Amino acid sequence: MQTEKAQGRLAAVLSDAFLILYFLFALFPLVWMVLVSLKSGPELFTTQFVFTPTIDNYIAILFGDARAAAGVVAKQEFPRNFMNSLITSSGAVLISLLVGVPAAYALARYKFRGKEDLAFTFLSFRFAPELVVIIPLSVVYRQLGLYDTHLGIMWVYQLVTLPLLIWVLRSYFEDISPDIEQAAMIDGYSWWHVFFKILMPLVRPGLAAAALLAFIFAWNNFMFPLVLGGSNVQTVTVASLGYISSAQGFFNRMAAASVLATLPQILLALSIQRYLIRGLSFGAVKG
Amino acid sequence: MAELRLVHIYKTYKGGVEAVKDLNLTVADGEFLALLGPSGCGKTSTLRMIVGLEEITGGEMYIGSRLVNKLAPNHRNVALAFETYALYPPLTVYENIAFNLRAKKVAPAEIDRRVRAVAAMLEITDILNRTPAELGGGHKQRISLARALVRNPDVFLMDEPLSHLDAAQRSHMRVELKRLHAETKSTTILVTHDQLEAVAMAERIAVMNFGVLQQVGTFEEVYNHPVNEFVAGFIGEPPMNFLPCRPQREGGQLFLISADNSFRLLVPDLLCSRLDRAGIQQVDLGIRPVHLDLLDQPGNGPGELQGVVSTYESLGEEGQLAVSIGAAALLVVTPPELSLRRGDTVHLRLRASQIHLFDAKTQAAL
Repeated sequence: MQTEKAQGRLAAVLSDAFLILYFLFALFPLVWMVLVSLKSGPELFTTQFVFTPTIDNYIAILFGDARAAAGVVAKQEFPRNFMNSLITSSGAVLISLLVGVPAAYALARYKFRGKEDLAFTFLSFRFAPELVVIIPLSVVYRQLGLYDTHLGIMWVYQLVTLPLLIWVLRSYFEDISPDIEQAAMIDGYSWWHVFFKILMPLVRPGLAAAALLAFIFAWNNFMFPLVLGGSNVQTVTVASLGYISSAQGFFNRMAAASVLATLPQILLALSIQRYLIRGLSFGAVKG
Repeated sequence: MAELRLVHIYKTYKGGVEAVKDLNLTVADGEFLALLGPSGCGKTSTLRMIVGLEEITGGEMYIGSRLVNKLAPNHRNVALAFETYALYPPLTVYENIAFNLRAKKVAPAEIDRRVRAVAAMLEITDILNRTPAELGGGHKQRISLARALVRNPDVFLMDEPLSHLDAAQRSHMRVELKRLHAETKSTTILVTHDQLEAVAMAERIAVMNFGVLQQVGTFEEVYNHPVNEFVAGFIGEPPMNFLPCRPQREGGQLFLISADNSFRLLVPDLLCSRLDRAGIQQVDLGIRPVHLDLLDQPGNGPGELQGVVSTYESLGEEGQLAVSIGAAALLVVTPPELSLRRGDTVHLRLRASQIHLFDAKTQAAL
């Protein structure tokens, strides 16, 4: 008994130690990014962990600096880029929700011809590398006048966000017995009432998790806004390239921009954390 | 509370599958009827048509004096206890039961009174504030029944209500359901494939197969006077034995002779007239395993057969003996602890009054 207990404790300690090690390993790039964002020019390429932190980089990317005003470096447009990212990413997720929730429900509930083919088609959006479709897409976008518009970027983001939402939510809807809907019909409720009062609470974990992931994928997307967007819709991912020019690399400002750009994702993830674990371990609906 | 009347009801699904054919059935006000049949026999389609979840292809359905063919489920005033319970997981037990009353905009005080009354009847008052996910099958079953009963339905339907319970809960719930029916006196239809449930609870049993209603009656009626081979074989456990044979008259006596001549059965007088009257060449003789007696001595009296033991199982309270007679096989319920071995010759007597005869072609009882 004694040794067993001791062994159990040892195993627990070891597994904790391993998790801490992994935690450090996984978070190290983030830590490094934060450190770099607080460094000034000369310290940039050292591995010093002790230095005098400065928030100049943040001030520079948020409000521009003297040299930018003087035209030495490009005027910093981080706030605008940030807004662009926010608009396109949330817009894309919103559209995906409006389209994807009914689509997922239909794919889960109804029998119709070509159902699996349709579901597979949605999934296939994720198969082709973005580079393969980007050139024809950019031609189409210029013809349609979608180039460099927020709507255009939200639309193309559907390739990323919609399949995820549909496939996660479909499995959630499939787990809900149709009997529940029928019971509610006998009870005298409309389908809409049942959908919002009974079904939505049941799929909420999946909805939250899938929407968050979709948001992150959209937010982090680089290729689509790079090619299909111009200055009007430049997102933080694309804009971060601008901190490096042939003459000079403002890696500290790039890091500061990245830190700020990561914040929405972290905040969102924290706010819906309680749904995340349940939501990502599929099929958690139980009567 | 009302009478339910099904008149020439048909259900045909897309693709031409006929699930229910020309169903005529009347369930009296306050009656407890079991709709019994194997899976795919049309009993669930019938139930769903009564509730209104499935469109009626043909015929007329009345609840009381109302024709309900075109009525939406919520206007029929029927209640269904689902096999899977179909409780609303986000809602508390209380809200689950109150759901229908809220839809009908019943006053809150009245809702509270009725929910508590039905909860007391089903002994679930102490769990009203829990959610279904926290509860076991027995509780869920009671909640689903409470939800159905709280609205005072004209017709109360139960779809395989006991199939997800364990054996102890099942026998307990059988008694409970019977008590509930006695208390509420609602017109009740139980859909089940389990004849034990049907027998234990229902006043009458309607046996269905292949979308056709085979027979309706009390258990005694369907057990003792099955109208065809299906009902005869479906009701009763272990199932009835069937022996294909042909009648033959020899020297003034009537015999039943098997196709491969492996047995000759001197027909008891009781049955002679029925066989003669029918004038049929091929019959199936039906005899229940409990209506066969093992004889110590071979005799040559009417209704006696000789066979060879193929297996014998002693099951504690009784024994089950499988006997082969030529190509035919017979199951016999015997006392336990007999010393019988494979290959032993045994002599059996069919109780004359318990022999059933069926037309081999139409399978209808003679």
